[in-house]
Amino acid sequence: MSFLFSFYVILVVLLLLLLGWALRTPRKRGGISVGPATLEETGQPHVTYLPQIRQALAPADLEFLASRASAKLTRGVRKERRRIALIYLSAVQEDFQRLLRLARVIAVLSPEVCTAQEFERLRLGVQFTLRSQMIRMRLLCGIGTLPQLSGLSQMVSAFAVRMETAITELGERAALATELASSLERRGVGLS
Amino acid sequence: MVALAQFQQILWAVNVAVGVALAVLLVVRKNYRVYPSFTFYIFLNLIQAVLLFITYHRWGFNSVIAWRIFWLTLGVVICARALAVAEICRHLLSRYRGVWALAWRILLLCAAVVLSYSILAARRDWRLALPTADRGLELSIATVIVVLLLFARYYDVKGDRVVRSLAIGFCLYSCFAVLNNTVLERLLYDYSALWNLLDMLAFLASLSVWTSALRHSQSEAQPKEILLPSGIYQAVAPEINFRLRLLNKQLSQFWKVEAPEL
Repeated sequence: MSFLFSFYVILVVLLLLLLGWALRTPRKRGGISVGPATLEETGQPHVTYLPQIRQALAPADLEFLASRASAKLTRGVRKERRRIALIYLSAVQEDFQRLLRLARVIAVLSPEVCTAQEFERLRLGVQFTLRSQMIRMRLLCGIGTLPQLSGLSQMVSAFAVRMETAITELGERAALATELASSLERRGVGLS
Repeated sequence: MVALAQFQQILWAVNVAVGVALAVLLVVRKNYRVYPSFTFYIFLNLIQAVLLFITYHRWGFNSVIAWRIFWLTLGVVICARALAVAEICRHLLSRYRGVWALAWRILLLCAAVVLSYSILAARRDWRLALPTADRGLELSIATVIVVLLLFARYYDVKGDRVVRSLAIGFCLYSCFAVLNNTVLERLLYDYSALWNLLDMLAFLASLSVWTSALRHSQSEAQPKEILLPSGIYQAVAPEINFRLRLLNKQLSQFWKVEAPEL
C-alpha cells in the first residue's frame, strides 16, 4: 500500500472517530452554582483541605507504623494513603474543570473574546489533563512515590497568598460579578 | 457488468426521487428561508442530474464531452456544498458573537491548510488532477465540520437537531468521497463503474439523513442570546487563566511530576 493511500484512510478514520466523539452526549458535569459568590468560591475547596491531606500523607506516620506495627497493617495504611491521594487528585481536577467551564460560559456569552486567552486556556487544560492522568496512573500502579511533602507548607502559604490576592481583586469587581451571575442565570443552559 | 449498470440506473432514479422529495420538503415547509444555501445546493444537484442524463443519453457515458460536463458540474456542486457547510457553521455558532469571530477564522484556516496539503501531496498525473482536487475539497469540508462540532462541544454550544443532522450528512458523504477517490487513484479505470455506484449510495444515505431532519418546518428566527457586557470577559478571563495556571503549577509541584510543556 502506498503512503498516500494509508494516509488518507487513517485520516478519514480519525475524522470519523472525532465526529463520533464530538456528537457524543457529554457526561453530566458538576454544575457551577450560579451567584455572585461563584467567582470567589471556585478553586478554593481543595486548598482548604491541604493541611489535612498533609497530615494524612506525612511520611513520619508511616515510618512510625513500620517500626511498631505488623507488615499487614503498614500495607493497609499505605493503601489507604494512596486512596486519599487519589481522592485529593480528583478534587483538584474538579476545581480545575469547574474553572474551565466557567471560563467557557463567559467566553460564549461575550461579544468579544481574546484568541490568546482562549488558546492559553486550551493549552492549560491539555497540560493539566496529561499531568493528572500521569499521576493517577503512577498512583494506581503503585510505582509512583506518594506526594513529596518537604517544603509543602511554604508552597501552600505562597499559593494561599496569591489566591487571596486574586479573590480580593475579584471581590472589588462585585458589581461585575453580580451582572455576570444574572446573565448566566438568564441563559440557564447546562449550568447545573 | 450489465447487472451493475442496471443497478446503477435504478439507484440514479432513486437518488433523483429522494432529491426531489427533499427539494419539495424544503419549499413546502418553507425551510428554504432558514437554509437558503442548502436549498440552492439541493436544487443544483438536481440540475446536475438532469444535465448528466441528457449528456449521457446524447453522447454516451464514456465520451469525452460527458467526462468534461461531469467534472465541470461537479466543481460547481462542490462549491455550492462548501457554501451550504458555511451556512451550517453560521447557524451553529453565529449567535455567540465572540466565539464565532474566533471560530470562522480557525475553520477557514483548517480548510485552507487541508486543501493545500492534499493538492500538494497528490501525484502529478493529469488524469487524476480533477479527482485529486475533488478529494482535497471533500477532505476540507469533512475537516471543517469535525472542527466545528468539536468547537461546539468545547464551548458547550447545543446546536439544534436539524443543524447537527445536516452537518452529519455532509461529513459522512465527504469522508466517503475521500476514500472513494483514494481507491480510484490506485485502481483507475477498473474501479470507475464501482466508484460511481458507491458514490451514489453514499449520497443517497446523506439525502435520507437530510430528508428525515427537514421533514418539519424550522423557525426562521433563532432565540436571541443575551450577551454579557464586553468588560466582563476582559476582567474575568485573565483571572481565571491565572487560577488555572496556579492549579496546574500546584499539581506539578505537589507530585513533582514532569509533564510535557505545551
